[in-house]
Amino acid sequence: MTLRGGILALALVDCAATFAGTAAQPAPAVPAPAAPAPAEPAPVAPAAPATPPEAETPPADFKTLDQEVQGMKKDVIELNKDLFVLQEELLFPANTQVAVYVSMDVGTFFALDSVTLKIDNKEVKNYLYTAREAEALLKGGVQEIYLGNLKVGKHELVAFFTGKGPMERDYKRGATLVFAKSVGAKYLELQITDRVTKHQPEFKIKDWE
Amino acid sequence: MRSIHLVWGLVLCAWAGVAGAAAAPNLVGKDAPDFVLKSLDGRNLRLSEFRGQVVLLNFWARWSSDSREELPALDRINTTYQRAGLVVLGVAVDEDQRRARDFADAMKVRYPVLLNTSPDIGRDYLLQKMPVTILVDRAGVVRYSNVGFKRGDERAYLDQIRELLRE
Repeated sequence: MTLRGGILALALVDCAATFAGTAAQPAPAVPAPAAPAPAEPAPVAPAAPATPPEAETPPADFKTLDQEVQGMKKDVIELNKDLFVLQEELLFPANTQVAVYVSMDVGTFFALDSVTLKIDNKEVKNYLYTAREAEALLKGGVQEIYLGNLKVGKHELVAFFTGKGPMERDYKRGATLVFAKSVGAKYLELQITDRVTKHQPEFKIKDWE
Repeated sequence: MRSIHLVWGLVLCAWAGVAGAAAAPNLVGKDAPDFVLKSLDGRNLRLSEFRGQVVLLNFWARWSSDSREELPALDRINTTYQRAGLVVLGVAVDEDQRRARDFADAMKVRYPVLLNTSPDIGRDYLLQKMPVTILVDRAGVVRYSNVGFKRGDERAYLDQIRELLRE
């Protein structure tokens, strides 16, 4: 009984203490906001004539917002680049990677229409060139026409070039290269050049060691 | 018992209809799949190079009677709206390219007609019936997809074209 009474007394004391605490808390809290309240009108009063600069502040906010957006865009582009590199590394590991590029020099004797690629007698790419793309190649652009995987060993690459040759005649030529794929990426370049002495285009496949 | 079978039959038909409708996919709202094809005049045309212009893409076949009706209407639309920034491209999906070429010549269409040499296009554009007329906006997004053609449908095309040209 005494134990019960003691517990009850303790609970009451505890309850009273918490009640007193909660009651006491607002007391100092009230003057706290009250204190700055009278202080606030003081700076507002001189700030009143300064409304025109205030009108100029939103553009600054907009500027920061715009900068944030630009920063985010930059981040997205960076992330996209990283993902692209990662994807390429995963899909085309350096050990098996084979990349074929196309370049064109001068092009007086040949207007490129299409390129067909065969690796080990299997067609892997057939690419039609628009006038703009052919023009970009003539201006020095290099196109990655094919990216794939090959096992280590000897392979044969055959490239067929179609287009308009000298005197606007339909022109189709092929070039072949037998290359050895070792451990590490392989880079091959299909070069279209003009052979001035023969007034003919020339098609070569260069193996970039 | 027979009535129960009938009810089940109706339910199955309705389900098949719903499933069929759900399976009929649509490209509207998605980026138009890019392609490059050879035109009848020998040029290679790439769809993405027309970004910034409204493109009307018409897939047709020689054996489709609707296509025969639609081509002259599209030719009229092309002559009227090409100055406003509309590009009309016809894509012949016939397997026999020589016949498709002869047919296009006979129809005397004045817009570029492309010969479908890529097997991917039918799959990319979800072609199931002929003709299919797709309108691509200046950003390269498919905005309208019209399957089949009846006389008078060109009026709907005009509304769609005007809307996209105004954007």
